[in-house]
Amino acid sequence: MTSDNPVYPFSAIVGQEGMKDALLANIVFPSIGGVLIRGEKGTAKSTTVRALADLLPERDVMKGCIFRCSPSDTRNLCESCRSRLSGNGQPETEPTRMRVVELPLCATEDRVAGTLDIEHAITKGQKKFEPGVLASANGNILYVDEVNLLDDHIVDLLLDAAAMGVNFVEREGISYSHPARFLLVGTMNPEEGDLRPQLLDRFGLVVDVEGEKDPARRSEVVKRRLEFEKDPVAFCKKSEPEQQSVRDRIIRAKKAITGIEADNLLIDTAIKISLMLGVDGHRADLTLVKSALAFAALDGVQEVRREHVMKAAGLSLPHRMRRRPFEESRADLGSVKTLIAECYGSP
Amino acid sequence: MNSAFPFPAITGQDDAKKALLCALTSDEIRTVLIMGDRGTAKSTLARSIGMLANGKRVMTVPQNITYDRLVGSTDIETAVSSGKICLTPGLMEQGNRQILYADDINLMEEGVVRDLLSTAETGRFSLEREGMSCSIETRFLLVATMDPQEGELTPGQMDRFDLSVRLNPIAEEEMRAEIVKRNLQFERSPEEFSRKYWPATGDLKKKLEGARDRLPYVSIPKGHANLISSLCLELGIAGQRGDLAVARTAKALAALDGRDEVVFDDIRLASLLALEHRRREIPDTPPPPRPPQDRKDTDKDQNRESESPDPENSPDRSPPQQQDPDDRPQQNPPSPPPPAAEQVFDIGSTFEVIRYLDEKSKKETRKQKSGRRTRVMSADLSGHYRSFRLPDKNRNDIAVDATLRAAAPYQRMREHNGLAISVKKPDLREKVREKKIANTLLFLVDASGSMGVRRRMVAVKGAILSLLIDAYQKRDRVGLMIFRGTGAHLLLPPTRSPDLAARMLRTIPTGGMTPLTTGISEAHELLTRGRYAGAGENKSVVILTDGRVNVPVKDGSPPAELADLARNLAGCGIRFVVVDTESGFPRLGRARVLAGNLEATYFRLEDLGSRGLAAAVENTTYIQG
Repeated sequence: MTSDNPVYPFSAIVGQEGMKDALLANIVFPSIGGVLIRGEKGTAKSTTVRALADLLPERDVMKGCIFRCSPSDTRNLCESCRSRLSGNGQPETEPTRMRVVELPLCATEDRVAGTLDIEHAITKGQKKFEPGVLASANGNILYVDEVNLLDDHIVDLLLDAAAMGVNFVEREGISYSHPARFLLVGTMNPEEGDLRPQLLDRFGLVVDVEGEKDPARRSEVVKRRLEFEKDPVAFCKKSEPEQQSVRDRIIRAKKAITGIEADNLLIDTAIKISLMLGVDGHRADLTLVKSALAFAALDGVQEVRREHVMKAAGLSLPHRMRRRPFEESRADLGSVKTLIAECYGSP
Repeated sequence: MNSAFPFPAITGQDDAKKALLCALTSDEIRTVLIMGDRGTAKSTLARSIGMLANGKRVMTVPQNITYDRLVGSTDIETAVSSGKICLTPGLMEQGNRQILYADDINLMEEGVVRDLLSTAETGRFSLEREGMSCSIETRFLLVATMDPQEGELTPGQMDRFDLSVRLNPIAEEEMRAEIVKRNLQFERSPEEFSRKYWPATGDLKKKLEGARDRLPYVSIPKGHANLISSLCLELGIAGQRGDLAVARTAKALAALDGRDEVVFDDIRLASLLALEHRRREIPDTPPPPRPPQDRKDTDKDQNRESESPDPENSPDRSPPQQQDPDDRPQQNPPSPPPPAAEQVFDIGSTFEVIRYLDEKSKKETRKQKSGRRTRVMSADLSGHYRSFRLPDKNRNDIAVDATLRAAAPYQRMREHNGLAISVKKPDLREKVREKKIANTLLFLVDASGSMGVRRRMVAVKGAILSLLIDAYQKRDRVGLMIFRGTGAHLLLPPTRSPDLAARMLRTIPTGGMTPLTTGISEAHELLTRGRYAGAGENKSVVILTDGRVNVPVKDGSPPAELADLARNLAGCGIRFVVVDTESGFPRLGRARVLAGNLEATYFRLEDLGSRGLAAAVENTTYIQG
């Protein structure tokens, strides 16, 4: 993948720590529920997301399955894998690397959800399901650039799939369902309109990015970019050691996360914060807890510390601080930090 | 999919659980609506009931279901091989004796909602399409969820639901902690977690079986039966559906409790579940207290919906400013001199707006009954594929499924060239697509000094915010323009983010002269030239003004210029809505004249909220324990 069309290496991106943290945490613990990156044009939003492709870990999937079902996740298999698994003992698997699947803004409904396979129908006279973007997204990252401009009915489709982890297709003579568990990553420029609260809430974490303010770092951004454009292959090669260390960190963290327990202190803190902010529903509690766990895992430690909670709060709360579409937020992150400090003690 | 979270492991939400258990007990309860804000476990709850219903499956009705899959359509495979038209059952038929689950039903296409609800109720639907004509019997339980913030169902649709529950986020810390813990456990190892709840699930199933056996023998004592009818009457519930639902639910509750006789508590809970959504109430916005006040001139179209003695104080919560001059002086400046300095006013209280955009569109009113949002037929390839038709010109948006179905029966008579299906021109069908975003609304607001008088701007801002909430639910594109001093200022170009507009609203400065003519012409200019010329299929300008104008555009008299411009713009393709903000006495009625000249729909500010207020008055009664 890197050789023919090299992407700018993740580890060579200057600054933007919040965005990097949020993305890595999601890869480590996908049920955090995705990342929304808000910021003006030219703040390396898309570059960072695309750069992820080179870091994503491999996993074992059922051999030949177009949905890349995971044999260990028996509750979320497609029809054919389910029958294969129930049949004979050990299924054949193959390693696949997680990918970044892009959802273009102009995508039509049938291409997103999947539709009737026209060719098959005409040549064979039989109905067959032709998988769409949601099928490719299963087990992968689904990336929507300018997600706030996405057509409403496509948003509804995404929400449906994201909520259930299954894409139910009942259209154009086709009745089909397949697993669609994906990591939703969206970018948007808030000046062009906000997201529907329903969609906003689906994103586990939100990062607000800004252009680099420090002149020295700004010039570093330009310098690296020019160097990359001049000879992408050489640039990538140079960054390879750092890239590898990020990859290792992800793999280690993915292993570690299963062993880290959410202790009562963490859960109680999360709930105190939610109650203080008066956020809707329970998704805020869960996301905060999960991302704190992921940050601890990324740091290679066995227990969640104060800084992990701080980081998690900063990313999981900003978009949940308002109850209704037209209300102002009632508290700010400052008071959240104070609360965390009270629970965890000052550094 | 058996990946559902175990029903007994769901923390709290007892009423919702009861409602679902009732529906599983009694086959007479066929529709349950679960309402709640985001992340209140609506879907988790709905999907978890599959494990309780013996042998029943939960079948999902996807958001974007096409009609052929809902009601059924020609089976291509048989048609091709045998030339016979034969039905592939749709979801409603496949759902016979099963559970259909519709997530976010308020966002679904109106026709789908209507068919689902009426079929669930009557147990049959008729199919008239693609050369098939039959009536199909099917009985299913429909479980639907919705987040009311995203848009409401019509009262008619609401009435069709037997039961409804409203989920609220749980506030107790311990329970919340339990929710987080159980969720984490479930995700870490769903199998093990579910196993832990097997005994509880088994017990519930047994309880349900017992209740189903007992149900035919449960009776309602006479006195309690009368109580139900008088309760419904008192609450002003139209129709008989409410009474029936209460009775059925009360019986189911008694059966679940192992009793043969309905007791008062059953009825109390049953009415909560069966009647709450039938009262025409606007949740979360308790009506403001009504101070006695009853002075207004009598416009003839004012009382049509509302019997309310006083529609005036809904948008404006601070009564003194509208009252007779004698009790005003404590707080407010005397009316004549408009303050020279700029002021920024708060936003007044909000209300649910009436369907102010529907009023004039005669052609569209039939289609837009629900008023949930405006849908337009889309001319390009975007939008939801709703139905198909014979193509009119050379279009390339072929509805392949419909075309193949049309061609299929003729295959035995056609030449094939090695293909299984040969398609001829008369078979071609094209897609009718539908888009949800339709309206571009520009709010044109008078922000001159006179709006500061009696703090009128507070009420006006409250009204705009209400209109914005309405616009959000209908996914309209909104912009905000004000006029004051010497000209018009575009504060917010049309955007899909009413939220942004709401933020701008807070900071609208008030003060200066009133260049109304300039405002209207600039608004017209904005929507007809440049980048917004093509935006949206319906364009409307909502003018909030008292009709006063005192800045000339050239050198004529301002009112005469205004009248000229208005007559020129009448019928220009943009719809105008004039919201009259005039208050106090005497009324000059200038805004009404302006509306006449523009051929605009006219409302008084106070009338925008009349439906909400009427409902509020109806709802002063409350179920008593």
